[in-house]
Amino acid sequence: MNKEKIIIDSTSTSFLSIKEIIRYKSLLNNLARRDFLVRYKQAFVGILWALIKPLINILVFGYIATKINSTVNAANNFVFVAAAMLLWQLFANVFNDVSNSILGNSNLFSKVYFPKIIIPISSILVCLVDFIISLVILIVLFFITGQEIRWQFILAPFFIFQTLINGLGLGLYFATINVKYRDIKFIVPVLLQLGLYITPVIFPTEFYFNRLPDLLKFIYALNPMLSAIDGFKYAILGTSIHYDMLYFYISTFCSLIFLFIGIKYFYKFERNFVDYI
Amino acid sequence: MSKDIAIKVEGLSKQYLINKSASLKSDTLYGNFISSLRNLKNFTQKKEIEEFWALKDVSFEIQHGDRVGIIGRNGAGKSTLLKILSRITPPTKGRIEYTGRMASLLEVGTGFHGDLSGRENIYLNGSILGMHKHEIDKKFDEIVAFSEIEKFIDTPVKRYSSGMYVRLAFAVAAHLEPEILIVDEVLAVGDAAFQKKCLGKMEDVSTQEGRTILFVSHQMNTIQALCNKALVMNSGKISMNVSKTDEAIKHYIQLASVASQTDLANRKDRSGEGKIRVTDINYFHKDTPTDELICGQECSIYIDYECNDSIHLNAITVALAFYGDDGILYTVLGSEFTGVIYNNINGKGTFVCRINKLPLMEGTYLLNVSLNQNGLMQDWVQEASTINVIAGDFYSTGKVTPATHRSILIDNSWSKL
Repeated sequence: MNKEKIIIDSTSTSFLSIKEIIRYKSLLNNLARRDFLVRYKQAFVGILWALIKPLINILVFGYIATKINSTVNAANNFVFVAAAMLLWQLFANVFNDVSNSILGNSNLFSKVYFPKIIIPISSILVCLVDFIISLVILIVLFFITGQEIRWQFILAPFFIFQTLINGLGLGLYFATINVKYRDIKFIVPVLLQLGLYITPVIFPTEFYFNRLPDLLKFIYALNPMLSAIDGFKYAILGTSIHYDMLYFYISTFCSLIFLFIGIKYFYKFERNFVDYI
Repeated sequence: MSKDIAIKVEGLSKQYLINKSASLKSDTLYGNFISSLRNLKNFTQKKEIEEFWALKDVSFEIQHGDRVGIIGRNGAGKSTLLKILSRITPPTKGRIEYTGRMASLLEVGTGFHGDLSGRENIYLNGSILGMHKHEIDKKFDEIVAFSEIEKFIDTPVKRYSSGMYVRLAFAVAAHLEPEILIVDEVLAVGDAAFQKKCLGKMEDVSTQEGRTILFVSHQMNTIQALCNKALVMNSGKISMNVSKTDEAIKHYIQLASVASQTDLANRKDRSGEGKIRVTDINYFHKDTPTDELICGQECSIYIDYECNDSIHLNAITVALAFYGDDGILYTVLGSEFTGVIYNNINGKGTFVCRINKLPLMEGTYLLNVSLNQNGLMQDWVQEASTINVIAGDFYSTGKVTPATHRSILIDNSWSKL
């Protein structure tokens, strides 16, 4: 048993500590397990729901893409949309779940102390499991359309990780505001709806860049999901990037900025959450 | 910090800001925007923010292996103190030092999920309380045995009876092995036998394993049974520092009787909806007002009330709880139990409780009073009034039960077959 001396005073603040997260790994594990088990309990097709929603989205948006973007053949259009859509859905789930996670679990941390960052991290884990299940769709489409297995596959986890970071960064920021202003739970779905249309999910990034003046291109590249999706499509399907790589780097850089801001903001108010709930 | 001190608290204060002009709307972005506009418009009018110190300059030291009771009325700052100690909310000023693992039970079954089975909830709740998986694995059988729910361990807890639920929840908490355990009145649930089992477990934890326990309760007899020391809090301050349990309880009762002398109508430490409130309590010996009642004699208690609205209220019931100055609950008198429910109540008036033969022995009693409407609490004041009872000839034999056997007197007769 460790005899650690603990001091609590008015000035001490905590900050992201990997050591502490590791110490609470059983809590992390159990919270994620709970959310996952509860989600599909008493549902007839159970875990299949993790497939149905993205499948419908892919079918609808794949069809739209085929109708509008005739430069690519129909089968490829479906694979491109599937790759982008699954990653987008991962981002959307993480963003949404993280921003509701703190308020949704206020009954826990208003009764017991533990590092609150555990809660959003556990919601990421649940989203990640859903994502892995939904990858089945991509794998099936991948082989149906006769794609080849390439060495760039090893890059894919990096872009999945970037997607998680994007969702976490933005989610933490909104989760913090959500503690005081309950409007957030209505704002997030609206933002995600908008985001789906302006992010290169249905159409390739060039489709947007060709229609934008330079200044707007720069603003467009501030979207951290742009590089994640294009990178993922490159890793899985080998779609090369036909625009200035600068925009790709801007977007990647934004991921880190958003994560930093999200964590910073979260830890600024984290200690006082209980007083606002 | 010397070696045998488990917790050291210095100058601890907690301030809450209460926005008096706040309405529900200021909890939304829109509402906040509007109110900031309003503030711009008439910035001469200051925003009404009231400072409230839930704790003010609290300092004390607790030694290893002590079981310390924290006593105080509603709003004395006990819960705030526990929340700061268990790191749920930060202090505004001051500091706390302690060593080792601290676990707090401010609620049993924190994080229990109805859809999960008993087994899954043991792991979930255990990890929320800070136990590692291997610790729970090791204690699992013990937890299940203690909670007496072996047969239902794989049933979702939403199908449990409330008793089973509480037993399971407490069992997990009781098998934590913290150096310092903080408990907040969680024992107020469950049946008497299980409460006794819980108390026994807590005593074991402290005496045999030398762990420190901080325990908050309103029930003086529980404090007396469990704690070897106690401290008394009153309106956010320490009223009596850590001392022997008996002395602390005595001090608390004195405080309470001073408080009960202040005008009942103006007391702020009350709970309930407030549609109807108790404004005064008076005592009558037969028909004459008195401030002392006599054991075994006829007496009446007059409870004055006042309604808030002009609406007529129905289904009102009144209850009085008699606590001795030893903190023990002696009896509860409720109009509902005697079949009396008041209808058509409005304005001001007086409820009368008549006792034909007062069964209380000599001593000082504190009364809690409550008014309910259809089971919904309208007004509840603790230690609303104090009354002295003087010795009387209850059995009309000139013989009196000795004061050391303080209890409720019951009319009885003896014979031989």
